Amino acid sequence: MADEHGATGAVLVVGGGISGLTAALEAAEVGNDVFLIEKGPSLGGRVAQMNKYFPKLCPPSCGLEINFRRIRDNRRIRTYTMATVQAVTGAPGNYEVTLSVAPRYVNSNCTACGDCTAACPDEMVNEFNFGLDKAKAIYLPHPMAYPRRYVINKEKLSAAGASAISSACKYGAIDLEMKPETLTVKVTSIVWATGWTPYDAHKMDNLKFGQSPAIVTNMMMERLASPSGPTDGKILRPGDNKPITSIGFVQCAGSRDENHLEYCSHICCMATFKQMSYVREQYPDAEIYVFYIDLRTPGKYEKFRAERMADPKAKFIKGKVADVILEVDGGVTLVAENAVTMEKISQRVDMAVLATGMQPRAALEPMSVAVRQDANGFLLSEADKGYYAAGCAKKAADVVTCAQSSTAAALKALQVSRR
Amino acid sequence: MNVQPDLEFIRQLKTAGGDTLKKCFQCATCSVACPLSTDKKPFPRKEMIWASWGLKDKLVTDPDVFLCHQCGDCTEKCPRGAKPGETLGAIRAYAYQQFAWPQGLAKLTTSAKNLPVLIGLPAVVILIMWLFSALIGVSGLHIPNHEQFAEHGYQHFFGSWNFYWYGKNIAFIALIMGVSALIAIISSWMGVTRMWKAMAADAKINATYRPSVFQFISRFLWPSIWETLQHKRFKECKTNSDRVSGHLPLVLAFIGLFLATCWSLIKNDILGLIWPSLHGPLWFWDPIKLIANVAAIAMLYGIWVLWQNRRKMEAEGRASNTFYDWFLIWEVAAVGITGLLAELLRWGGMPGLGYVVYYVHLISVMMLFLYMPYTKFAHIVYRTLAMCFERYRNSSFVQ
Repeated sequence: MADEHGATGAVLVVGGGISGLTAALEAAEVGNDVFLIEKGPSLGGRVAQMNKYFPKLCPPSCGLEINFRRIRDNRRIRTYTMATVQAVTGAPGNYEVTLSVAPRYVNSNCTACGDCTAACPDEMVNEFNFGLDKAKAIYLPHPMAYPRRYVINKEKLSAAGASAISSACKYGAIDLEMKPETLTVKVTSIVWATGWTPYDAHKMDNLKFGQSPAIVTNMMMERLASPSGPTDGKILRPGDNKPITSIGFVQCAGSRDENHLEYCSHICCMATFKQMSYVREQYPDAEIYVFYIDLRTPGKYEKFRAERMADPKAKFIKGKVADVILEVDGGVTLVAENAVTMEKISQRVDMAVLATGMQPRAALEPMSVAVRQDANGFLLSEADKGYYAAGCAKKAADVVTCAQSSTAAALKALQVSRR
Repeated sequence: MNVQPDLEFIRQLKTAGGDTLKKCFQCATCSVACPLSTDKKPFPRKEMIWASWGLKDKLVTDPDVFLCHQCGDCTEKCPRGAKPGETLGAIRAYAYQQFAWPQGLAKLTTSAKNLPVLIGLPAVVILIMWLFSALIGVSGLHIPNHEQFAEHGYQHFFGSWNFYWYGKNIAFIALIMGVSALIAIISSWMGVTRMWKAMAADAKINATYRPSVFQFISRFLWPSIWETLQHKRFKECKTNSDRVSGHLPLVLAFIGLFLATCWSLIKNDILGLIWPSLHGPLWFWDPIKLIANVAAIAMLYGIWVLWQNRRKMEAEGRASNTFYDWFLIWEVAAVGITGLLAELLRWGGMPGLGYVVYYVHLISVMMLFLYMPYTKFAHIVYRTLAMCFERYRNSSFVQ
């Protein structure tokens, strides 16, 4: 292989979240060429939606900024956003991969000045904020977007909108005639870092998600607490923007449940503890209720748990919420049996957070290339094919673990190029 | 500490449908999903862990075990497939065995392997009685001719051909069914009194005043029976709400057939002493006969619904295939089918085949009576008493 590709046989990294970024950088910094492709309009993935990381409680902008900087400075990495894998032909060490790049409708003249968004009359559901607010049909994916370039959702753009944004752009960056492109890259191995999606909370019919704005998911909570979120970081009850006096966290919402996700998603306990500190920071007197089956905070996370459990206004109830009652005042009542006191409790709260789990993206969207999956849709590495799974595509994990598994995948991918 | 696991307890639970018990991880979803579970004493989560720990003494004295109507709402929501509803059913099966007398007879009913004996015992008893009936009086052992069959139906099964002996048939029936029922009643009485005492002790009830028999019936027993007849709790179930459409006709059928049997007894064997012409099967349009026939059809319909329901649940993995559950369904189906078939054969004028079917009918009825306190049928007494106990526990006698 080295004869054909040199010692620097290229690696394809599919997915531009924290795992894909890590794998791409690790491989490139060893000296290999890397193609990093991302389906969305920006790199950063789920981490970009977070308010803070646990356990250090620093904003993810810091981790992403460092990684984006390393990518920008590394000439061996070529990034393609809005790109997907169409087909893979050839053999390990000598793959030819066809990539399809969807039109962005905004060219490289864009300076991200934002005049277009201000002029755009067309609104749509803001997926980045999980529908908590509206976005314009031309938008910057997120404040830290990389590449820092706007993107158009053409389906949501009216004719009036098209002319409004075209005339608003001083740089001639709007190109509504842009066509999808296909390109081919030669790589020796592929790292699959296709990431995860929050489990669809609508599927737990007893938890009534979608029937009251007071019921949100943990990822929505991240956006509510984020300074770049729909409420500028103020935790307010969606719907009526009421400051909260009480909040309930519903653990294992759809996880460890053979009717939904049969596995433990690993991060939801820590995410809830983290979000308890968001609440406590803004509401020193708010009552916090955490309903759980088991609290899983292994290793050094135990300290983090102990600190949160010392909160005198936080109550921990060992029992899974199995029913939710919508109240007329906009709040909700969470019903569970406390297995310790052996009593059924109905706790009224202003707002409920469903700690939904991670579902591998590959379980929801069919892969264009056959990659082995387990029963839950997590990807399995195939050494004989030079396919390596990384991050949450491989198993539900926190950022630290994703970085580790991505580094490991990068090393394996490099080994193929030097076989 | 030397731990001695009670393997027999686990084995019995497993055979009666509790094979999924160990999957439970105590999330308590079941206690919320259950429409009958109360705020102060929710179930079945606590029963699941008691069973896991082998605390069988706590289980058999827990009224909640018997209050469960096995609707399956908990099993539906269970995130682990631990099937709490089925497990509680298995715990009840275990409890019936614990309270049972005589133990040997009770043990027989726990396994399909004993079916030859379970069927053979009443078959032999009734056959011997039939043969024995030939030795007493006149015209014993026989298959009637068409005229006799048309006139008397099955009323001379144990032989009765003239005035002096016409009480013989009913004497034999009473001997067989009466003794079976008596064993069942004695066994049930012993069981429920033991259960009541144990429950009272477990609930630490130290009542100064005991309710009189009249008070017990009017304040606890009758309201419980009335509630059962209305299927109030059954109707709370969501997942398997169609079980009511099977169980309700079945209950009403049993009541209807009981009334018809009582009337038949009075008419033939009491009033018939004065007016011999009252002997013979009831006229088709006789109101009591109409009730009996409607009840027979209701019985067959009810058991057909429950049969289908059970099969569907098993096919979908929501219930386990156990002898405990099926034995009662088979028994009731056998009573209904042979009963109706015997009547049809009487109308069709086929005495030989009719007598054979009637013989099988007697076997199935005797099985239903005799094995009542040990099989799933026992819920008729134990659940009723648990409902009484629940009322008693919340009454002024205790509080």
